[in-house]
Amino acid sequence: MDPPIYYSKAEYIETDTGNKVSRRATIAGPQNIILGGKTIISNGAIIRGDLRRTGAGHAVVISLGRYCVVGEGCVMRPPYKTYRGNFNYYPMKIGDHVHIGANTVVEAATIGSHVEIGKNCVIGKFTIIKDCARVADGTIVPPNTVIPALALFAGSPGRFVEDLPESTQEIVEAQTKRYYTRFQPAP
Amino acid sequence: MAPTVDYHCPCLSQSTIPPPPHLPSSSHSFHPLHTLFFCEECDAVRCNRCVSVEVSGYYCPNCLFEVPSASVRAEKNRCARNCFMCPNCRNTLSVVPSDPPDLGDGRLAIPISAIGEPPFFLYCNHCRWDSAEVGITFEKPTGLAAQLQKFEDSAPDSLEFERLKEHFEPVIRASSLSSSTANAPAAHPSSAAHSHRVRTNSITAAASAALARDIPGVSKHNPLARSGRGGGSGRDKTTNKDELPEYRSRVDITAASARGTGGGEADADYMRHLEDVSEVANLEQRWINSWATSLQTADLKPLRIPLHSKRSKRCPACAHILIKPEQKAQSVRYKIKLVAANYLPAITAALPHQQEAANAESAKRTLSKSTAAAADDDRGAAGGIHAGKTYPFHLALTNPLYDPIQVRLTVQRVHAPAAPSSGRASPEKARRPPFAVSLPSSSFPIAAFAEAWEYDLDDEDDLDEMFGLDDDDFGVAGRVPGRESREAGRGKLKVVGVLEKKANVTVVGGEVVIGKEARGNVKFNMLVSYTYRSDDPAPSETDGDGPTSKAAAVGKPPETKTFAFYTVVDLGPIIPREEPRSVDPDF
Repeated sequence: MDPPIYYSKAEYIETDTGNKVSRRATIAGPQNIILGGKTIISNGAIIRGDLRRTGAGHAVVISLGRYCVVGEGCVMRPPYKTYRGNFNYYPMKIGDHVHIGANTVVEAATIGSHVEIGKNCVIGKFTIIKDCARVADGTIVPPNTVIPALALFAGSPGRFVEDLPESTQEIVEAQTKRYYTRFQPAP
Repeated sequence: MAPTVDYHCPCLSQSTIPPPPHLPSSSHSFHPLHTLFFCEECDAVRCNRCVSVEVSGYYCPNCLFEVPSASVRAEKNRCARNCFMCPNCRNTLSVVPSDPPDLGDGRLAIPISAIGEPPFFLYCNHCRWDSAEVGITFEKPTGLAAQLQKFEDSAPDSLEFERLKEHFEPVIRASSLSSSTANAPAAHPSSAAHSHRVRTNSITAAASAALARDIPGVSKHNPLARSGRGGGSGRDKTTNKDELPEYRSRVDITAASARGTGGGEADADYMRHLEDVSEVANLEQRWINSWATSLQTADLKPLRIPLHSKRSKRCPACAHILIKPEQKAQSVRYKIKLVAANYLPAITAALPHQQEAANAESAKRTLSKSTAAAADDDRGAAGGIHAGKTYPFHLALTNPLYDPIQVRLTVQRVHAPAAPSSGRASPEKARRPPFAVSLPSSSFPIAAFAEAWEYDLDDEDDLDEMFGLDDDDFGVAGRVPGRESREAGRGKLKVVGVLEKKANVTVVGGEVVIGKEARGNVKFNMLVSYTYRSDDPAPSETDGDGPTSKAAAVGKPPETKTFAFYTVVDLGPIIPREEPRSVDPDF
């Protein structure tokens, strides 16, 4: 019963695998970014695939799974640290069915599948988010935080609030698939 | 706010009739569908409030280490590895090395080892608290808990706790002995084979006996009386358990404040000379401590992270397992998962005029037809539910079963004489719901759930043709010519009845007439009963007309079953008459 979400056809590029990438998103280093398919990159999102590990050869900087949404104005930036005196960026891996709300900054190391991140959040460097977790709107997750599976995090700093219901995986999966079908070019 | 549909869980109550929806307490017994469970054995809905919960495993939420249950108690339910919480902001602390020694030539020294320079300390990435502030540093960055152990063990509160445990040990042992003999009078008293359960019970018993002695009017905890067998056998022993030797605390509380444990003159003196308010730890920082601690921020210690648990859930009536998680802590799969969403049809409610208002706002939509555009605008501006008007609403029912079902919806009359609260019938009648709801009275089918069906994009624009077709204030007839012809073929202007069938979703329309003086929410209880035939794939057209109870299923062929459950539908608040009619469209 949900009405479709229309976008102007000129604004988005659709790939063979069903990814929809806004022309108004900033994609740096696209050769280092993997999109799983049916993933939406909204207007104004910034994805920094250019911040790669030092060293020769091909490197995957940011990988997103299927049915993900990167919201408007999101910044996705790989985490970095100085280890043994060497400054380096580290890859960011994101699973399937992950929705990231508008204006959120993500510097996580790993985000599992079926994760919902609200809008206006900051996900600190090297954060690990396990499957089916949820981050409420406006949460500040400090660097190196671990968010366990099926946990709701909120606040500043982000703290555990409650366990999510057992059927979270099915709910999120249905929701992300529905969102993708609702997201269609204006007639 | 979007309309909501919540499902009723009777929680083992005798009557399956839910409380009237206008009572605030009714929200207690209604839950969103996805939080409910379903017991196949009892054929009943269960919720988180009524299931019995068992811990199936412990893990640390930070390092995700699965703690064996044997060591959970010894480690006081906290992570015994390198996980600490900031006492200031509850963020996780990280171990950081000190700055490398300054070589004096203005350049940064090249770090020699991978781990950095000792001493190490705990640092909060969020509030910048560090353990060096409170004088805690480490020689090596591993095994921090072990390094801190000696500080923790010598803390006055843990010493006092150990002493208390020691003090009560003989009492607990004695009472566990007596209760085990009371439970099984045939057993020899010296047989020390007590189960864990008995021992915990005896702790409760000892505590309650002590409480009953000190506070008059508190009845003694008697597990035998509660279980209803053997009233008198344990009586004599319970009185014996009361005779506790007097406990003397390790430190005298009047002298304790002088030694920096908080309270008394020392604190008053400290507060008097306070210069910066942040030097005092706030209540939140201090209050999880079991012991009155110093007021000073400088005395806050890093906290060990409390463990989380994975839980399995059982039906409270038949003890069958409803939820059984996989052993691995971070797995989101379940060995057993009986959730109500797999058994009961999912219902979503929508108000077409509200959707229309939302759609009218989005500039991309070209929904409004030329005819009755003015009326549309008027309604679009409203969006809300006004008193004294009539509104259609939609209920979309989704069938999760692999068989087609026949569904029947009935609105529960709040002042129905059949309600068990017949004594309150007259006040109920006095304040009848200020609105009347009509729903399709006959049963309707919903097709079976098929794994592979695809969401049909072409049907999307069907939505607009179902929008408010009947409203007293706007001429219905005037709107008909503006509609497409295909709509006319589809049972024209049907407000109450089946509106649409698509895959395993059936949309039915209802109508609500709001009274002139109405206020509050349009909220009503709805009985949903559905009949399914487990063997025959063809939809059963004949049944579903009988009484909507489980008893009705008895008379039918064995492969047909009827299940009934209550829901509460909340369509949103009514805008009272007095208020100006044009409200802000940004609802």
